[in-house]
Amino acid sequence: MNTFTLTVATPNGTAWSGKIVMLSLRGIAGDLAVMAGHIPFVTSVKACDVKIELADEAESQRIGYTDGGLLTVTAEGTTLLTGHFEWKE
Amino acid sequence: MGADIKSLRNRIKSVDSTLHLTRAMGLVASSKIRRAMDHMNKGRQYEAAVRAAIEPLLHSPDCQRSPYMRTAPKQEGQERVCLIVIAGDRGLAGGYNANVFRALQDYPDADMIAIGKRACDRFGDEALRAEGFDYTTALGMAIELCRDFADGKYDKIGILCTHYVSMLSQEVQLRWLFPLQPTEHAPAGSVIFEPDEVTILNAAIPEYVAGILISAVRESFACEIAARRTAMDSAGKNAQEMIDRLQLQYNRARQGAITQEITEIVAGSGM
Repeated sequence: MNTFTLTVATPNGTAWSGKIVMLSLRGIAGDLAVMAGHIPFVTSVKACDVKIELADEAESQRIGYTDGGLLTVTAEGTTLLTGHFEWKE
Repeated sequence: MGADIKSLRNRIKSVDSTLHLTRAMGLVASSKIRRAMDHMNKGRQYEAAVRAAIEPLLHSPDCQRSPYMRTAPKQEGQERVCLIVIAGDRGLAGGYNANVFRALQDYPDADMIAIGKRACDRFGDEALRAEGFDYTTALGMAIELCRDFADGKYDKIGILCTHYVSMLSQEVQLRWLFPLQPTEHAPAGSVIFEPDEVTILNAAIPEYVAGILISAVRESFACEIAARRTAMDSAGKNAQEMIDRLQLQYNRARQGAITQEITEIVAGSGM
């Protein structure tokens, strides 16, 4: 599977960064998923669960929670700018 | 002579206790500075990331209609200005607090929102400390500021804070939040905004303002700590110099008293 870099940036520093296969969360216009090769894109994110499919061998999934923010997708990587982020498990 | 020696001894004791105080405050500032600078750098990075994300929106023709980008039609001096004033939580930080309050003299009619205990004391607001200022507070304040500007309560909103240059140098600066101003050069490349530019801009502005606020408060706090450490170092040096000078005077006075006593004994014995 193709992978891309996700960075979760908060005012207290980078909450998490790593290679992932897919990111899904709730944008201002509805649920969305981002995979490798997505076109450059910006949207506002609502308070929601953030599902991340990791690019490790088991392709495991992690679920976090954000209180809203801004998602930017560029050729260099994807950044979720949020005031607060935490893992649910 | 005896009274002179006693007063010198009391002065040395008093300056010595001041020296202990300045050393202790200097050590506290030294222990806080690394953490304060770490927070400042993280705040700056977050602010830069949010700015980079919304910068293409500020150049979009559709977003020029946003209430956050309206410019005041009034002449300079007639604008309704709101300033967020960030000062220190405590004194004994050199000219840190005084420099911020001096810069306010240019805006006598502006409404003030104070952050930092010293600023709150000055403007009679509820105490809101700069140390430990968190994102939730910043976001709440940002939402209120956005509403005030969009409703037309103010024509300009700015932050009066202190910019960290180095441990020895900090500069007071006024950063205008509203109206939003795009940079001179539009970012290259096309980006899709979902659902549209104006919706994203309006939704992202409170986050952007909160990012700037938290970054400015953290930077100002780092400046306060750096200013206090420098001031305490300098005060400690001055106190040590004063103790050395007083000690010399005390030794001379004591020596003079002993010499006089010997002279009196010798004269009295009729040798």
